[in-house]
Amino acid sequence: MTILDLQQGDRFKVKAVRIPREVGKRLADMGFVKGAEGRVVRSALLGDPLQIKICRYDVSIRRAEAAGVEVELSAVKREGVV
Amino acid sequence: MKKMITIALAGNPNTGKTTIFNSMTGSHQKVGNYAGVTVEKREGRCRYRGYDLHIYDLPGIYSLTAYSMDEVVARDFIIEEKPDVVIDVIDATNIARNLYLCLQFQELNVPVVAALNLNDEALAQGIDIDEKMLAEIIKIPVVKTVGINGKGISGLLDQVIDLVQKKERATYTISYGDELEEDVQAIITELVKDKDFALRYPLRWCAIRLIEKDARVRELIGEHASRDSVVRVVEARLTRIEEHFGREASLVVAEQRYGYIHGAVSEAVLHAPVNKETFTEVLDKVLLDRTVGLPVFIFILWAVFQMTFQLSVYPMLWIEAFFGWIGSLSIAFIPEGMLRSLVVDGVIAGVGGVLSFIPLIVFLFMFISILEDTGYMARAAFIMDKFLHIFGLHGQSFLPMILGFGCSVPAVMAARTLKNTRDRIITVMVTPFMSCGAKLPVYMLLAGAFFVGNSGNVVLSIYVIGVFLALLSSLFFRKTILRGDSTPFVMELPPYRMPTLKGILWHVREKTFRYLKKAGLVLLPASILIWAVTTFPRPVLDKAEVIQIEENVQVVKKQEALSQSYAGQLGRMMEPVLLPIGFDWKIGIAAITGFAAKEMVVSTLGVLYSVDADEDEKNDTLRDALRRDPHFSPLVAYVLMLFMLIVVPCFASMAAIYAEIGGRWLCFSVVFWLVLAWGVCFVVYQAGRIFGL
Ligand SMILES: Nc1nc2c(ncn2[C@@H]2O[C@H](COP(=O)(O)OP(=O)(O)O)[C@@H](O)[C@H]2O)c(=O)[nH]1
Repeated sequence: MTILDLQQGDRFKVKAVRIPREVGKRLADMGFVKGAEGRVVRSALLGDPLQIKICRYDVSIRRAEAAGVEVELSAVKREGVV
Repeated sequence: MKKMITIALAGNPNTGKTTIFNSMTGSHQKVGNYAGVTVEKREGRCRYRGYDLHIYDLPGIYSLTAYSMDEVVARDFIIEEKPDVVIDVIDATNIARNLYLCLQFQELNVPVVAALNLNDEALAQGIDIDEKMLAEIIKIPVVKTVGINGKGISGLLDQVIDLVQKKERATYTISYGDELEEDVQAIITELVKDKDFALRYPLRWCAIRLIEKDARVRELIGEHASRDSVVRVVEARLTRIEEHFGREASLVVAEQRYGYIHGAVSEAVLHAPVNKETFTEVLDKVLLDRTVGLPVFIFILWAVFQMTFQLSVYPMLWIEAFFGWIGSLSIAFIPEGMLRSLVVDGVIAGVGGVLSFIPLIVFLFMFISILEDTGYMARAAFIMDKFLHIFGLHGQSFLPMILGFGCSVPAVMAARTLKNTRDRIITVMVTPFMSCGAKLPVYMLLAGAFFVGNSGNVVLSIYVIGVFLALLSSLFFRKTILRGDSTPFVMELPPYRMPTLKGILWHVREKTFRYLKKAGLVLLPASILIWAVTTFPRPVLDKAEVIQIEENVQVVKKQEALSQSYAGQLGRMMEPVLLPIGFDWKIGIAAITGFAAKEMVVSTLGVLYSVDADEDEKNDTLRDALRRDPHFSPLVAYVLMLFMLIVVPCFASMAAIYAEIGGRWLCFSVVFWLVLAWGVCFVVYQAGRIFGL
């Protein structure tokens, strides 16, 4: 399952980043590492890019990158609240 | 004892670096560029406890990879200039991601002091940080600060001085776990064999970077005496790591680093359970809403655009009037002749031209920095990204392009927010296609003369064609010469904050001086050049001839002078090229003077058609004159409008473009604009003729 399979508001835990080279590294630098917890906040008008809350801050990534972030759904799933 | 300390101020974007820098240095600062790149270099000085502190504000970055120019600049500065201390400004509300950078500074083997800034916000969010314990764990002095009121700044500087005074400095870096440490040690063992290399670069950092597959550090290995065996060892270790962990080695390093950080943070920081939405989350619900978000964005854009250009109107007129007054003074004091002409038409017109843009720049950058400091700018890029991405542009390209409708100069300067060089070059090259305000008088004149009753639609069509050309050309560049991975859009959406007046004034001051310096250097010589080609060689007029034509002596003189000048000769010389697109030499001259400033096309046509177009009421006469010219037709007029839209922008814009993307790309752009302008005009003119227009 990747971030793309999640719904708005879903909480997740990163399992792996499967994007080669610099872009994958950049995501890892920004906090997308194994075990990190995050939440899908929303998507922009045409569904792209996505706003993700990770490591206690908001970051925007495109669907192309989100498709490379493998995640698992977290147990607690609450809409809206951090 | 050393009395001078150099300090590098570093940290993630939006952590309050600039605020702290300003409060340390006051007005003792200067802004430049790092050699060869468009990354701003700010340095300032202050005295503290008898020490002379030299502070360098490094660009805001997230990591020390070679991902962006900013990161390369920051790390080259630390490796090459070897500052005495690095102050890493940390956002106390988001310690983990900020420490990620901080620990990399430690690896670079420079003394680091951490400033836990935005501490007021952290307190408000119920984040309780035991800074003593944190300092103990990461072996870096930690000081809590609040940038906006200067709290903790002197404590920070005390720590800096303590660190410098320490004779012996324990070198400490985090451990990446037994597994990875073995690989790191193996690479260090290879690296240390070259003594010179070991003196020049921090080896542990190099080893870790090599595992992270950093291209720049791999290049550094080229300097190593036994580079081949280093490369062999690195390759072997990378293979081992990737087989063992089952993923890219660079990701493993990031994971281990974050793992260490989470350990440290969970010990030293107590996060209160958050159960209500933050202000930022509430505001985002509105501003990033799928239905309301876009209209709000368009409204904000419209408001900024309107306010900038409305507020600048009068100051610009005052500046122009002031230079008009200086001009008339010069006429009174300098005797008629070459010198007077040079001073009045060349120098004063040129300087006035440079300075009259200042109100635009001041107001525009005031609004931009408000949008930036509040955190809305990143949201705007978020909203626009998808649409612009279709054409190979970036979410942040929207601002320069929209501003281009007002004036290309600030528009091009605004492209600096684009961190990726390729994105910036494309954006800057297509921004002039957004018809600027100065092109409007030319459109109005031509549309008014040849498309009576329909001029509005005709002018609108030119604007629309401009937008399409901008989008299509950027798509074209993205698919050809500026190919490559489209830049990923990994962008932080910082929390909303109230901007401070002081902060905004700093931005405005800085941008204005930058414009003055850059534009002044190019624009003044350029306007003297234009003056020279339109003035020389001097016309040889018979005295009798002049007297014969009793009326409009001035105008006739001007007309003669222009047609015999180098510009006139050039116009004639270019006729073979101009005729296929329907222009004769007169239009050619007008277009050439348009290089100086677009509105000059109107006054040049005025001179050529013997009417004084400076006065509005006589504009009608110019229209009539144009209409009477058998060479002109609606088709030619429309092609001329297209030509003005596409061809090279004015000198002021070119100076700004030069400053943003450099001489080589400017030359390329000029060729591109000329070729495209000619091509489009040729197709339209010839097609028009076939259809008998
Ligand atoms: N509440 C609060 N705001 C701060 C503090 N330091 C800076 N700011 C604000 O945070 C925003 C970003 O600051 P700036 O210095 O431009 O950050 P930079 O991007 O790191 O240079 C500005 O609006 C500042 O006024 C602080 O300690 N507390």
